[in-house]
Amino acid sequence: MIGAKILLVDDEVVFTGNMAKLLTNRDYRVTAVNSGDAAIKALEEENFDVVVLDLKMPGMDGITTLEEIKQLGLFTETLILTGHGAIDTALEAIKLGAYDYLTKPCEIDELVEKIEGAWSKKDDREKEDIQEKIHKVVESPRSAFNVFSKDKRKK
Amino acid sequence: MPEHAALKNESVLKDGHLHKKTYYARLFRRFVLLTMVSSLVPLLLVGWGINIHYTRFAKTRMINSLENQLANHRKIVELFLLQRTSKLNLIALTHSLESLSDMSNLNTVFEVLNQEDESFTDLGVIGADGRHRAYIGPYNLMDKNYADTFWFKKVMKNSIFISDMFMGFRKVPHFIIAVIRQERGATWILRATINPEVFRSLVEDVQVGKSGEALLLNRQGIYQTSPRFSGKIMERAPFSVGDVHSGVEIQMLKSHGDNGEEPSVRQIAALTWLKEPRWLLMIKQDYSEALGDVNHANYVTLIFLHLSALIILAVAVLVTRHMITVIKKRDKEMDQLDNQLIQASKLASIGELSAGVAHEINNPLAIILTERQILLDVAGQTQTMDNDFKEQFDASMKQIDMQIHRCKRITHNLLRFSRRTQSVIEGVDLNEFIREVVDLMEREAGTIGIKFRTDLDQNLPEIPTDPSQLQQVFLNLITNAIDSHDGKPYGSIHITTAGDDRKQGVRIIIADTGSGIRPENLEKIFDPFFTTKAVGKGTGLGLSICYSIIQRLGGAVTVTSEPGVGTEFTLFLPLQPPHELEESIIKKEGSSSD
Repeated sequence: MIGAKILLVDDEVVFTGNMAKLLTNRDYRVTAVNSGDAAIKALEEENFDVVVLDLKMPGMDGITTLEEIKQLGLFTETLILTGHGAIDTALEAIKLGAYDYLTKPCEIDELVEKIEGAWSKKDDREKEDIQEKIHKVVESPRSAFNVFSKDKRKK
Repeated sequence: MPEHAALKNESVLKDGHLHKKTYYARLFRRFVLLTMVSSLVPLLLVGWGINIHYTRFAKTRMINSLENQLANHRKIVELFLLQRTSKLNLIALTHSLESLSDMSNLNTVFEVLNQEDESFTDLGVIGADGRHRAYIGPYNLMDKNYADTFWFKKVMKNSIFISDMFMGFRKVPHFIIAVIRQERGATWILRATINPEVFRSLVEDVQVGKSGEALLLNRQGIYQTSPRFSGKIMERAPFSVGDVHSGVEIQMLKSHGDNGEEPSVRQIAALTWLKEPRWLLMIKQDYSEALGDVNHANYVTLIFLHLSALIILAVAVLVTRHMITVIKKRDKEMDQLDNQLIQASKLASIGELSAGVAHEINNPLAIILTERQILLDVAGQTQTMDNDFKEQFDASMKQIDMQIHRCKRITHNLLRFSRRTQSVIEGVDLNEFIREVVDLMEREAGTIGIKFRTDLDQNLPEIPTDPSQLQQVFLNLITNAIDSHDGKPYGSIHITTAGDDRKQGVRIIIADTGSGIRPENLEKIFDPFFTTKAVGKGTGLGLSICYSIIQRLGGAVTVTSEPGVGTEFTLFLPLQPPHELEESIIKKEGSSSD
């Protein structure tokens, strides 16, 4: 079975490297980037199931990155993994639409569990969306053209 | 605030404590002195003014009275002499030399003269040759010749003459009145000796107070009467009489005692010169007695002033003592506030630091954890591992995991302490809340023999506070209370709640029967990282967290403890949460609704 496609975003290169290794060992397809900008670029180029995002980064910080990701209008779920003490910030991130948060250091099993949760939520949302579209096509075939012609990335 | 600044503040406070005692003593002295000066100066001024005024008034009155007495006596003496002179003059004018030369006639006249009072000692008729024509009196003077005596010469010149006191032939102090008569070419003199006792009693019997007397002196300063106290008739007075003047003069004299050993006494004297003879009538009195009223008044004033000063001193001391007590109380309250402020700022600065440190440590910890996981993953895939090595490897991995978790617990506590948590304020029934916490903790405590007792005020109002943070506080305090029974087979934790109407809040007391806190540690227990627990058992953050949470909720924590007996924590929570907290909640709600 092929695991979820994960984008790791953290300014700690060693951490992302190690994490990528661990997740790859657990059959995930992992891409690691070390800044918010790189994350947005990667998301624009490729589809990911789950983004694991650090909050405190130089340059574009986690919250801004999250906002940018939301702007893209993807089904991709974001999981916050932060070593920062600001639980307030983590809560804010959830309010902005992050799936959940974990504080560093955390066990790999814990992370895997959350990733699975996020992935299945993403899948559910995707399925719901497709069903909705099918429903619309059945109800009003004329609108089908409009629905499918729209690029969802620019919604 | 940087830590060294906080330390400096603390040392300043300690210095303050050292100097406080002398400071209060100085304050006390200064207040008393100020009160004394501000009260006594006006009092003394008024007293002084009244005294001066009264003294002047009393002196004037005393001098007036002295002058009046003198004037009266002068009148009496002058009248006495005038009457005697007139009588003699009348007799001389109405009788001829021939008739008066007859002894029986002269005797009749003498008896008539002495009818009212025996003011004449003798009476004589003397011819121009100085010899007696006739004489009635106790002395045998018939054959005396007066032609060469001073009075004879004077009377021949002045027609009427009153002599000074003199001894004469009889060797007794006396004076005479002589009138001259011209009768058909012949000149004769009627001469009478005034009874010295009668005359002297006029003056000598005058008594002015205890020390006062009246004196008569002639122009040479010879006593004409005997002074009451010192000196004798015919003796020279120890002061000069000065020149003749009219009216009354007031003089200050210095008198010496009889034997000269007594200290000199200041005397006040009123003086007036009689018209004829030119005698000086003097009334004098000791100055201190004359001014007795004034002195008495001064004495009373002095007593009054001393009493007033004493009363003022007593009042000043009492009032100041009360004031100092109030000031001490205020200072103490201020010190407590200062200490709380220092504690709060210390916690705040450590909070800031902790958040940063926690983050910096969490990242490497996360890396270590991933490295460990990678090693575990790799080890899992490796089949050919030496048994001993595998054993050691597993043990090390386990230890690494344990230590990482230990670090994690520290950093998470630090973050909690640095208040990076959100408050959720809701109405809390404290009694119910405490029952729940006690239920939770009883299981743990029960196993080591510690019992819970609660004494909850049933009329406690619901208070708006953050239940999850409050739970943290209770859990920390109760955990500490349980831990403090380490080594004791049994004990109890007593929780009391009570409303505090005066401070508008609720008091919760958590008292344990544990080992207590040593006095030197009592000041430090709220400091972060201060712990008396074994290494690895406590982070030293529990009470700091309690302190910062309670403070954030607008309350206060105080502690009393007796080593070996137990510790008592008193929490105060206000009925109204502080404004900052309310504002932050409103802000939060506002931002979440965007």
